[in-house]
Amino acid sequence: MMKAVSLELYKLRHKRLFLMVILFLTVEIIWTFMAVSVSISRNSDYARWEFVIAILSSMNGLFFPILAAICVSRICDMEHKGNTWKLLLTVSVRHSMLYVAKYISASIIMLGVCIMQGIAIIAFGMVNEFGQPVPFMLLIRFLAGTVLTNMTIIGLQQWVAMAVKNQAFAVSLGMAGGFIGLAADLLPGAVRRFFVWSYYTGLSPVTQNYANEKVQLIVEDVNALLPAMVGLIVAGIAIFLAGNIHVSRQEI
Amino acid sequence: MNQIVATYDLSKRYGKAYRVKDVNLTVKEGEIYGFLGPNGAGKSTTLKMILGLTRLTEGKVTVFGKELESNRRSILNQTGSLIESPSYYGHLTGIENMRVIQKLRDVPDKNVEEVLKIVRLEKQKDKKVGQYSLGMKQRLGIAMALLSFPKLLVLDEPTNGLDPAGISEIRELIKSLPQRYEITVLISSHLLSEIEQMATSVGIIDHGRMMFQGSMEDLKSKNRPTIMIKTQNNKQAQKMLLQKGFSSMQEGEFLVFENMTDEQVAGVNKILVSANIDVLRIEEHKKNLESIFMDITGRERSL
Repeated sequence: MMKAVSLELYKLRHKRLFLMVILFLTVEIIWTFMAVSVSISRNSDYARWEFVIAILSSMNGLFFPILAAICVSRICDMEHKGNTWKLLLTVSVRHSMLYVAKYISASIIMLGVCIMQGIAIIAFGMVNEFGQPVPFMLLIRFLAGTVLTNMTIIGLQQWVAMAVKNQAFAVSLGMAGGFIGLAADLLPGAVRRFFVWSYYTGLSPVTQNYANEKVQLIVEDVNALLPAMVGLIVAGIAIFLAGNIHVSRQEI
Repeated sequence: MNQIVATYDLSKRYGKAYRVKDVNLTVKEGEIYGFLGPNGAGKSTTLKMILGLTRLTEGKVTVFGKELESNRRSILNQTGSLIESPSYYGHLTGIENMRVIQKLRDVPDKNVEEVLKIVRLEKQKDKKVGQYSLGMKQRLGIAMALLSFPKLLVLDEPTNGLDPAGISEIRELIKSLPQRYEITVLISSHLLSEIEQMATSVGIIDHGRMMFQGSMEDLKSKNRPTIMIKTQNNKQAQKMLLQKGFSSMQEGEFLVFENMTDEQVAGVNKILVSANIDVLRIEEHKKNLESIFMDITGRERSL
């Protein structure tokens, strides 16, 4: 499996995927930190780790579905473009193995993005001299929620990107997901839970509550998020397996 | 000779229509087997089933004496293939494409160098494949198929889109493979001239059915000359000659006789002249392979 994953990463040479991912992430981080800085300059109470995490969770809802769609499409599209499915299958690579390798490759890239985001949060907090120490537990919970949501979305994107040659479908799905991810908090909870893109904020350890024209930051209890996490993991596994089985059964 | 590939009543159905029906194909060790048929005859589908890319509707495939379904991986480890258009990663260079297959095949670096030399791409190996000409892509595809020097090489129309010089180059390369590397080659084409020049055995498929299978010599032996005689009164001549034991068919202005010796031709001529029927022409016609192919497939297209 390691060989298959390293081969997938090798095949990404000259694609400038990593550069694109970093640029995309930079735009998101700059946008978020500018918004946070403006809030802090108006009210120094916002100079808190929780606020940065809450804002970044919302921004991830917009940016990450699109970023995941682009990454997955780039990884899958090269097989469609070069007609390489039959080449790989005739050198005794199994369809399902290839599917898993591509999934892991996309997940590794998105994990790298999450880690870079975590480092950026710490750097931002230090530069702005937040009073409290770095809340590693909160950051790990933020990272876990984001990674979990990413992995489910990658599974969905990969299914579409592998099954439909025209990558416009996959990228459009990502863009629609970005919109839903951004606007999901406006939907009732019962509806929201059916959209995987809403879990960036849904699994965020910090939620925002608007009361008396003020934003309240609430640190959610781990136990309160567990059912949603388990539900997302089950959905993620189901999507991944369904995609893998469907794509593996397609004839060349 | 050992059977390298054998299919038993191989069939593939899409919807209600059979694309391939009851094909029994046998490729023996060390052969260059030419799989010939017009476009859409079912060649690629058959080859895909032999490589396990397409599921069989009915029948069985064995390769190296082992059943494909249960031994697919071990069979493919000893098989190289190029199916339909060449497969490649356009954003990678030639050598990087080779490295991808090298890693999957787990073969040494020297194989990469050698096959690039065989297909004469060693000077273009650092160029992105997206910038290659079709001929170069085709050669790269053959290099990838050859990389592990497999026991069986399956090539589906490998000269498609090549210029005459490229076709001749690939042909010479394929012809050399059984002797140089002990590779058995199964090659498909819709071009009879191409197969004629390199194959030792031939299978002809049309409308999904195998119409002929045998050695190239067997096929050529169908190339029996016919004698065509034109007289002033063909009807009377035909009647008279039939009474003397010479049966013929009327084809246009000629009477056509098959399997005649020189003496028999002279005898027929003598009979006609004695009966005061003027003989205007006596011609010998040899069927070329193309006509034989058309006779077998019953159509005059794609050639």
